[in-house]
Amino acid sequence: MTRPAATPTAIEVRDVKRSFKSVKKEEGFRGTMKLLFHPEYVVHEALKGVSFQIPAGEFTGLIGANGAGKTTLLKILSGLIPPTSGTASVLGMNPFERTIEFRKQISIVMGQKAQLWWDLPAIEAFDLLRALYQIPRGVYRARLDELTSLLDVTKLLNTQIRRLSLGERMKMEVIGAILHLPKVIFLDEPTIGLDVLASQKLRHFLKIHNQKEGATIILTSHNMDDISELCRRIILIKEGTVLYDGEPDTLTRQDECQLRVKLHTEPTLSELALATGLPVEAVSSDDDDPTTYLLTCPRSRVAEYFQKLIAKFQVADIGIQEASLERVIQRIYQQ
Amino acid sequence: MKAQLKSGFSWMLEWRLATIRNGMKDAIAYRGDFIVGLVGSAVVPVAIQLMLWNAVFKNNPESLFGGMSRSQLLAYTWTSLLFTQIRGGDYDFGLIEMIRTGTLSNYMLRPVGVVEFIFYQGIGEKLLTAGVCMCLGLVATFFTPMAVTNLILAILLAILGNIIHYLFGAALASVAFYWENAFAVLMVKNMVVSLLCGEVIPLTLVPEKWTFIWKSLPFYLYVFGPSQVALGIWDHRMWAIQMGIGCSWVLVFWILLKLSWGFSTKRYQGIGG
Repeated sequence: MTRPAATPTAIEVRDVKRSFKSVKKEEGFRGTMKLLFHPEYVVHEALKGVSFQIPAGEFTGLIGANGAGKTTLLKILSGLIPPTSGTASVLGMNPFERTIEFRKQISIVMGQKAQLWWDLPAIEAFDLLRALYQIPRGVYRARLDELTSLLDVTKLLNTQIRRLSLGERMKMEVIGAILHLPKVIFLDEPTIGLDVLASQKLRHFLKIHNQKEGATIILTSHNMDDISELCRRIILIKEGTVLYDGEPDTLTRQDECQLRVKLHTEPTLSELALATGLPVEAVSSDDDDPTTYLLTCPRSRVAEYFQKLIAKFQVADIGIQEASLERVIQRIYQQ
Repeated sequence: MKAQLKSGFSWMLEWRLATIRNGMKDAIAYRGDFIVGLVGSAVVPVAIQLMLWNAVFKNNPESLFGGMSRSQLLAYTWTSLLFTQIRGGDYDFGLIEMIRTGTLSNYMLRPVGVVEFIFYQGIGEKLLTAGVCMCLGLVATFFTPMAVTNLILAILLAILGNIIHYLFGAALASVAFYWENAFAVLMVKNMVVSLLCGEVIPLTLVPEKWTFIWKSLPFYLYVFGPSQVALGIWDHRMWAIQMGIGCSWVLVFWILLKLSWGFSTKRYQGIGG
């Protein structure tokens, strides 16, 4: 990925490997007894030599299937765990040294782990964070007002965290994570479990925050809407190695596209799939309008499939569109 | 430079006070639970001791047991109750749970020491408890020979005991970085502490040849020591000496804690997605 030479590097990862050792337990009572007297260990390689650089201010998506190594990488970059080998540098510092200066400049939000105090109202937790991060009271007040109104949670500040809905809680978690304006933010599935509206609001907020404050953000998510709306760059990890590092558009344009077809007849999806040999999905079924079908097709064979469709069906309209990011990622996971 | 130092000092004080305040608020978020925890946890130890002393003195009420009369033992039982509530805390169990489940990550990335932060959160509740005990003790001074000064000094000693207890527990909790599940270690520690701190029986009842055990450990500073001060058995000079000894133990356990966590956090895996 090309970038202006003047932009400083915020994150640099060089050949990072990380393995975990765990006890292997065989099934049943015999396995339990064996574990007691003669434990066997297995080593799992979560990261197998990952390298990349992220310039300051960039919003990067880190994607991969479950167990691909995304969270491990975030843990290394935030300084929670060290790499087994290789080096990682964040803002020019070694994360695992966890200096106070480093900890003041980073933040992490884990969608599956609450970081605020469960039994206290958010306002109490934010006030403690103000003290921890030495935010002057006036600045804190103004910033909190701005963030809570942007995320529409001002009225909920005095409600116990545990009484908030998942979406409201996640908004509070994000506010808590950026209240001290960290230079680097790690977001680990922040929209997990959120409804469409809450996800959209959070995405909009993150986009504005990134543009306004220029924070470097790494986002992991299984929701491709998060990635395609926010990230100018994606790093795709599979089984601990980087498979793709670049713009999302380049990935979707690589070797597949979608034929967007309207037919005068209404074949079933399986009839259409059987006739063309391509995966098919229907995207609209308005009573007044013929159904639109999307057929995923290799870019090099578009003309061939055009002819096949015209020969076998009465085509009302036909066109080409890029494959969705979700579809491309899904295909890569399956390979 | 002077301004920087002043700002640094004010921050050091501010975050600690803010954390203690948060701990207090957290503790009384559920008032019923706080009161039941405070009162309820005292019922069983007191009942056991009262039954025990009644049985011991049943046939001969005027005799001495371990050099103590019935009334002295009863006075000890009621007085020690105040300090039993201040000791404890058991935040070390919380630390092990956090290491095991990976929730420690939330604290490790804050710009302050993780063990210290958790202590200040926990001590908030204990300071509230100490306040309630102080009020109860002040009421007791109207009906017993206990002096107010002695009560205040005893509570200070008990708070020092709480700090020692936490540092020791937190150092032991670092075992969880190696074993993942280390609750048994803390349970054994609590049983030993319970016996040697004087909450079950006054340590004057320990046979002479075994007294070196409790004297060479800091646990007596949790309950037995404060009770002796409150009852006026230890004078102010003795209190000062015990405070000195207590501070030395704080230093010892603080070094132990730094070493154990310094080495073992390298093994932290931050389990959980």
